[in-house]
Amino acid sequence: MDWLRRLLSGRLVLGALSIGLVLLAYALVTSRADNNPALLPPIPDIIGSFFTNLGAGTLLDALGASLYRIFLGFFIGTTCAVIIGCLVGWYKTVEYLVDPLIEAIRPIPPLAYIPIIIIWFGIEEFSRVLLITIACFMVCVVNVIAGMKNVPQVYVDAASTMGATRFQVFRTVAVPAATPFIITGYRIALAAAWTTLVAAELIAAPSGLGFMLQEGRRYFLTDQVMMIIVIIGACAFIMDRSFRAIQKRLMVWSETRD
Amino acid sequence: MPEIVVDKLTHTFGEGTAEALTVLENIELTFESGSFTSIVGTSGCGKSTLLKMMAGLFDPSDGRMTLDGEVIRGTDRRRGMVFQQDAVFPWMTVARNISYGPRLRGAGAAEQREIEAKWTEMVGLKGFEDRWPRELSGGMRKRVDIGRVYANDPDVLLMDEPFGALDAQTKERMQSDLLDAWRQSQKTVIFVTHDLEEAIFLSDKIVVMSARPGRIQHVEEVALPRPRADEMRLTDDFIQIKRRLWAMLDH
Repeated sequence: MDWLRRLLSGRLVLGALSIGLVLLAYALVTSRADNNPALLPPIPDIIGSFFTNLGAGTLLDALGASLYRIFLGFFIGTTCAVIIGCLVGWYKTVEYLVDPLIEAIRPIPPLAYIPIIIIWFGIEEFSRVLLITIACFMVCVVNVIAGMKNVPQVYVDAASTMGATRFQVFRTVAVPAATPFIITGYRIALAAAWTTLVAAELIAAPSGLGFMLQEGRRYFLTDQVMMIIVIIGACAFIMDRSFRAIQKRLMVWSETRD
Repeated sequence: MPEIVVDKLTHTFGEGTAEALTVLENIELTFESGSFTSIVGTSGCGKSTLLKMMAGLFDPSDGRMTLDGEVIRGTDRRRGMVFQQDAVFPWMTVARNISYGPRLRGAGAAEQREIEAKWTEMVGLKGFEDRWPRELSGGMRKRVDIGRVYANDPDVLLMDEPFGALDAQTKERMQSDLLDAWRQSQKTVIFVTHDLEEAIFLSDKIVVMSARPGRIQHVEEVALPRPRADEMRLTDDFIQIKRRLWAMLDH
């Protein structure tokens, strides 16, 4: 009995349980005789849509197009954020110069740039990647700056009294001490990348997961819409989990609660 | 031979403002090469401020300090410091912490291994080389701190209440071990504390400071023989010194 209780209170079982309950409730509602499948498509229809689109190649094409935009925008955005964030957080002159600008731009939701980006660059691949880059940069840079500002003074003093130059302190103390913040910045940027991607594709894209959502709405393919929502959720989940695994590897030294 | 000389040093925080606060006034001190000196005083007497200025972490508003005749300005590896807080880098293993200073100056891998082996052994952390600081107790982390500064081979060791956060037993053992390391290296040590017993047990000379503004009130030469053993803490000579110094502190 004891092993059963342990199994039931385990993380995987409880997690599967909550998802299972939601699915069950959904299945019960959609199996009622008066259910309108155009509004709430039954689970088998959603799975059917998955295999239809997989067979036709449309799903993989859309997924490929979206992942490409995500990775490119995420990579450029976070790389710029780390470089600029480190400089702003460490060098007072750079901070006074750049920080007001970042603070002024930060509250603007990235989606507000869509019209101006379309006017300037058209409905091109470049525009979509640019939008994701901006979104990733803005959320990530704030974390990197916070990380650099939170480097404990005693570490800086310890390194300088051992003869470290200002740049050596930056490289050997400030950057590693700020790593937890920087990794958090990456994870938030990833979430921001997904949000912005779907919004950008909903408005203007000839391909991608957002485009398939829009197509599903236009032709009343509710099962396709539902299917894409699940796919996006699954992708974002897998990517976040991979990040957490990397975080764990990089952060073996830090004390975290399990 | 005097190594560090403090010459008419005065320090005022927020100079020129309404809240200006003079924490140190007209301090004159000399520290002999290879000596062990403690600075005691109640909180607010400016003893930590004085030590940080010797480290070069900030400049005095008036007067100056010299090391071997050279005016102290800015931090330098010749003046190593052990802090009251935990300053061990949590992202480096014990061994990497120990060899941090030499690594800054481009020591090769072999030299780093040698220094790590020597100083982990000296501070009693043999076998813990590959541990992360989070796996160590507070006392052991302090040992890493001290070993790291020693491994960096400074001329002067500045210690700012390094054992303040440790329990009584750990503290006494750390004091004896510190004396061993000091005897072997013969480096000049300046040790700030508010614990009279600690100061008497460790030092050749004790500087007693009074507070607000911090001034030198008395300099006590500690005539107790060396090497010092723990039992000495209970001798009449020891207690007499303690009684005399205790009466001087602002209570």
